[in-house]
Amino acid sequence: MSLPQTPYKYSLTQPLYDWHPWNMKWILFFGALIGSGICDRETFSGHQVFRINIRNEDEISKLNRLVNSDNLKLDLWKSPSTLGHPADVLVPSFSLQEVKSFLEDHGLEYSVAIEDLQIHKEMDSIVKSYPHLFSTGKGRQRPAIWLNAGIHAREWISSATAIWTARKIACDYGRDLVITSILEKMDIFLLPVANPDGYVYTHTHNRLWRKTRSVNPRSTCIGADPNRNWDSHFGGVGTSNDPCSDTYHGLHAHSEVEVKSVADFITNHGDFKCLIDLHSYSQLVMYPYGYTTSRVPDADELDMVARNASKAMASLSGTQYQVGSVGSTVYTASGNTIDWAYDNGIKYAFSFELRDTGFYAFALPADQIIPTAQETWLGLKTIMEHVRNNI
Amino acid sequence: MQLRRQPLSAPRPGDTRPAAQRLAVPLLLLLALQGAAASGGPEDSGWLQDAEPSSRLLSQAARAALHFFNFRAASPSALQVLANVLDGRSWVNQKKEYKFDLVFTTEFYSAEEGEKRLGKCSAQVFFRNEKPRPAVNVTCTQLVKKERRQEEDYQLYKLMKQLKSPLNAVSIPDSHGYIAPSLRPIWDLAFLGSSYVMWQKSTPFLHYYMSQISSVKQWKTNDDAIDFDYTVLLHEFSTQEIIPCRIHLVWYPSKPLKVKYHCQERQTPEEASGTEEGSAVALTELSNF
Repeated sequence: MSLPQTPYKYSLTQPLYDWHPWNMKWILFFGALIGSGICDRETFSGHQVFRINIRNEDEISKLNRLVNSDNLKLDLWKSPSTLGHPADVLVPSFSLQEVKSFLEDHGLEYSVAIEDLQIHKEMDSIVKSYPHLFSTGKGRQRPAIWLNAGIHAREWISSATAIWTARKIACDYGRDLVITSILEKMDIFLLPVANPDGYVYTHTHNRLWRKTRSVNPRSTCIGADPNRNWDSHFGGVGTSNDPCSDTYHGLHAHSEVEVKSVADFITNHGDFKCLIDLHSYSQLVMYPYGYTTSRVPDADELDMVARNASKAMASLSGTQYQVGSVGSTVYTASGNTIDWAYDNGIKYAFSFELRDTGFYAFALPADQIIPTAQETWLGLKTIMEHVRNNI
Repeated sequence: MQLRRQPLSAPRPGDTRPAAQRLAVPLLLLLALQGAAASGGPEDSGWLQDAEPSSRLLSQAARAALHFFNFRAASPSALQVLANVLDGRSWVNQKKEYKFDLVFTTEFYSAEEGEKRLGKCSAQVFFRNEKPRPAVNVTCTQLVKKERRQEEDYQLYKLMKQLKSPLNAVSIPDSHGYIAPSLRPIWDLAFLGSSYVMWQKSTPFLHYYMSQISSVKQWKTNDDAIDFDYTVLLHEFSTQEIIPCRIHLVWYPSKPLKVKYHCQERQTPEEASGTEEGSAVALTELSNF
């Protein structure tokens, strides 16, 4: 597990994997559009990448026919060089219906594989595009906000939202009054994939994996629940001491390097005012505690801020996010991120559960990424603005 | 907390009359019996009403009631999900069994964007210790006229009959949340079958969502009915576990659902506190005719 030695604003982790080269084109294409001053990526909504299974020569010629049709404006990214390897085709939104009908009529097997989760390369791209916003963290330390995402491997929408948010922040600085005034006073640290090994595993082996991928000494079961591994009522109610459990708390508090790295960084920094942890699903905005249903001393203020965030989020598409403390809203969960944050002087500690409420659950369709990120952004801004006004 | 003693009004498990056909008499009965003198007999379990029922518990009970409702309605075109709990009361007895009295709104599982029609249900839910499944008495307003619902079920049925065997579609939805439109009827039917399982497994502390159809063993449509054998991954709250369940159902429009299932429980004992472990592997055969 490697995390950068020196803290960066937009703390960028180095995942231990490399993405497929065909994703590069997508990001370069996307990057060019951003350069022309569009902060909201509207033009890309609806574009999809189709992965088409090619089983014989006949299907290759059908595919070529499809790709060569002028009006569809398809882009063949990966051609089926050998039978048995799928072809990847970028399909613009206006051609989706026609392409799907063609594929279905001709019995071509396909799946829709939208990979705008090209996180590592996207992070590099953002830093390159906005160098003035990033530094090595030297110099005067300012009050800070930590945005945490992807601590649970299967909650892909969390990381997707985070990487969209990273570019949004960078792009809107100097354009949007709220985010500009926040960044004038505070630093924002954003961790898009807090559990990189787990995240890889959901791509390579098991889409529904949740935990880290650490080896447990006396068990064949892998991993601990990083959201039960924090040093706050560690091992208490709502955790399991069985390594095979999806809420296994780990060998000891901060035993998971993913957790220890972040906890140590925040502690050493010493001036974090706000921490927001993004999860899915259930559509909730929550505040501490998770280990108990009892109210924290700041419950009134946190509840008000959470309600304002929820209202802001609903204002975009009507999506309803319910509000309450973790313990009284979902279930008791000891050793979670925001309990630790709150107990360590970070008053404005919130946990979001993003879309949806159980229909697609973890496998949220890609066409909901941008709407989710856009509405979440309104909630994040509400909270960060309140923090800026109260520190 | 007030001590209320009343005879158990929830239906007995094993009662196979469809709940939807029972009128919501128990609700009135319950109100009439408030304040009745204690009988003090050996059957009396001493129900204590919760002065501040947790909204989380009420929601969980409502979900269990809806799973049962969906199963009994056996209508893949008219599946309902919980919208909001409007009113709820809960009781617990000395044996740590829970009883709920609820009024809640519902919406269509397959609602189109912008289509926001709300149904309304009242339900009594009784989680007892002996039987794993909660006893449910539920009545819902008719969002769709029976004839229309039957017609839409029949349309779905016709679509299913046309579908070639989807055995090569391994995951529905795929990792990116995509369900091919032609496979949508399968998803709805799978949810109907899962409703039975989720009803059976629900406790005051465990509730479920259907995450993914992980494999289809069989999809037979040559006989009259749809014969569907598949494995579904249920997401369990609050343990966060993913429970694979093998489900085999037979469905024909307007007929009750026939279903049996087998869920793969984790072998090692659950040590998380605050969760009640449901009973282990169950192979349940249900014949409705």
